[in-house]
Amino acid sequence: MTLGLPERAGTARPALPRAASWLLTNEFGLLALIVGFGVAFALGTPGFGSPFNLFTLGRVMAIDIMIGFAMMVVIATGGLNLSVGAIGVCSAMTFGCLSERAGLPLAFAIPGALALGGCLGALNGQLIVRSGLHSFIITLATMSVFFGVMVFVTRAEAFRALPAAISAFGKARYFGYVSPLLIVSAGVGLSLAALYRLTPLGREMLAAGASAPAAELSGVRLGRTYVLCHLLSGVLAGIAALMVVARTGAALPSMAGDLGQDWLLPAFLGPVLGGAALAGGRVSVLGAFLGSALVSEITNGLLQFRVGEFWVQTYLGLLLLIAVLLDLGRRKFLASIGSVAR
Amino acid sequence: MLRSLKTINMIAAAALALAASATASQAADATKVALVPGGPHPYFAAWEKAGQDGMKDFKLGAADYRVPQKWELGLQNSLLESLLSQGYNAFLVFPGDPVGSNSTVQELTENGAPVIATAGCLKEPTTALFCFGTDTGNSAYLGTKELIKAMGGKGRIPHFTGFLVDPNTQLRIDAVEKAAKETNGAVTVVQVIADIDAPGPAEEKINAYLAAHAVDVDGLVTTAWVPAVVASNALRKIGDKRIKMVGIDHDEVVLKAIKDGFVNGTMLQNPYGQGYIGSYALDRIRAGCKVKKDAPFKTIALTNRFIDSGTVYADKDAVDNYVGSMQSITKKIFAEFEKTYLTCS
Repeated sequence: MTLGLPERAGTARPALPRAASWLLTNEFGLLALIVGFGVAFALGTPGFGSPFNLFTLGRVMAIDIMIGFAMMVVIATGGLNLSVGAIGVCSAMTFGCLSERAGLPLAFAIPGALALGGCLGALNGQLIVRSGLHSFIITLATMSVFFGVMVFVTRAEAFRALPAAISAFGKARYFGYVSPLLIVSAGVGLSLAALYRLTPLGREMLAAGASAPAAELSGVRLGRTYVLCHLLSGVLAGIAALMVVARTGAALPSMAGDLGQDWLLPAFLGPVLGGAALAGGRVSVLGAFLGSALVSEITNGLLQFRVGEFWVQTYLGLLLLIAVLLDLGRRKFLASIGSVAR
Repeated sequence: MLRSLKTINMIAAAALALAASATASQAADATKVALVPGGPHPYFAAWEKAGQDGMKDFKLGAADYRVPQKWELGLQNSLLESLLSQGYNAFLVFPGDPVGSNSTVQELTENGAPVIATAGCLKEPTTALFCFGTDTGNSAYLGTKELIKAMGGKGRIPHFTGFLVDPNTQLRIDAVEKAAKETNGAVTVVQVIADIDAPGPAEEKINAYLAAHAVDVDGLVTTAWVPAVVASNALRKIGDKRIKMVGIDHDEVVLKAIKDGFVNGTMLQNPYGQGYIGSYALDRIRAGCKVKKDAPFKTIALTNRFIDSGTVYADKDAVDNYVGSMQSITKKIFAEFEKTYLTCS
């Protein structure tokens, strides 16, 4: 399920039976961990399986997944977007301004906010391409610039009189426990999978990440590709921000912490756990989805277990480490069985 | 493969059924109060003891103090949602944001858990029963008046205060300005330094300010816990008792500085009373009492359903008996609370 360029001849594993190769995937490992932790938490705590908790867990997952996607699309080219939180806050505040101050209907305010996210992302891309500097440096700088301008323009005043429909969407439940935000994340995930799997543009993005010189020789316009990746990242950060707005019913300058830094951890955890190569060229949309879902589930479960609030991060780190090591062991074990069977 | 998937499904279904039945059986039980601040802060430490005492005195199922890992609205919301799932059915909440917390508070109340906004208010309209906290504006105003009196009615003062996201901060800034303006220019607020209710920024900004401007100021007013502690230490280090100061809250550093004459006094708040009386009120509401529509609520900027949990100025003479002062305020509010604010059939 990981999307990337074919491995070089000589380094590829011998072909395994289809079912066995699915068992070896990162995505299967994540799915098994999600199910395993889910069963453990449901057995261990009375509230984990309640419809309300499943609903709120799904809502948190949806936001973390979208933040992860916003980072994943630039990781695909070997880049980073540290300004993902700052862009998100700018989009949310733009939405608040268009909706509350300008009185525009949601049909205009939402695209307007996403357009701003896309523009800020594209600006990141242009600066990276024109300066030749690594995206780490550029987006570290623009994180401060975007956030600072947002605070200056809005005077850090939140927008708190948004249309009731936006918070109603955040609170809506399907079948008692499914948040519509989770459906949005799933829909965006399917679109991204289609982009990488079915379109030349998606393949070009992965090719640019795998080997920029080779991609350029193949006719890929690298600059344009990088800019489009960052534009897409900005739009996805905007969608994540609007999800947060739907959850809280307000557009808050503090929604992603100082400079938007609170989004950085979920931005990296999902894609990296999901199997994305930080050097670029390989991403997994399903893996990023499941990776973010696993982190949200563990955090929720630890809270349900009443682990001291200040220990949650420590236990989260330990559980993730154990989970990754178990998954590594599982794949090595299955691979060895596969070799013996052949 | 299919068999193992079926087994997993069966285990998951059994777990969900167990969880659901456990949750349902808890629903009709005793009041379980969660006391949830916006983040870690020494001001709220008294809530823990207040909850324990409330649980014992009012025979509550629980009254637990639960703190989000840091001051972040999303973390507080997640914690509140999780606590509801764990069976807590009544909440004392310091809102992480006066509007941003409303959505979560509404979800809590829609699930049958009454909420009192405590120590900070939610912006109306809100489904919280009422706001129970210090009249922060009045406290800051009275504290500044005490400072002006100590300075002989004239001088220049900076104001060190708390988080800008705290709904109380702007009220405090306005109140200090109001007290200064009443002197017709004899007292001026030369600078407001906000967002420093944490040790790092407070140390950095207050010490830098005093290093540069100590000779230019005649007094200091602090309206947040950590700035009060840091400013008290700074004045002790400077050793010059010419600069007058009125702080806030009851940190040992501030109380000792008052005793030693480096600080003139402090505006005490009543976090213990908020937790104790708030737990009682939630239990009474769950027992069927209703909030009186014509109760004598105060009106402040955020809400017209505000109950003052009390504030008092403690100087050198009163500082040794500050616990007694706050206990007497708590007893007084508690004695009249049900009759004044609730209708119980």
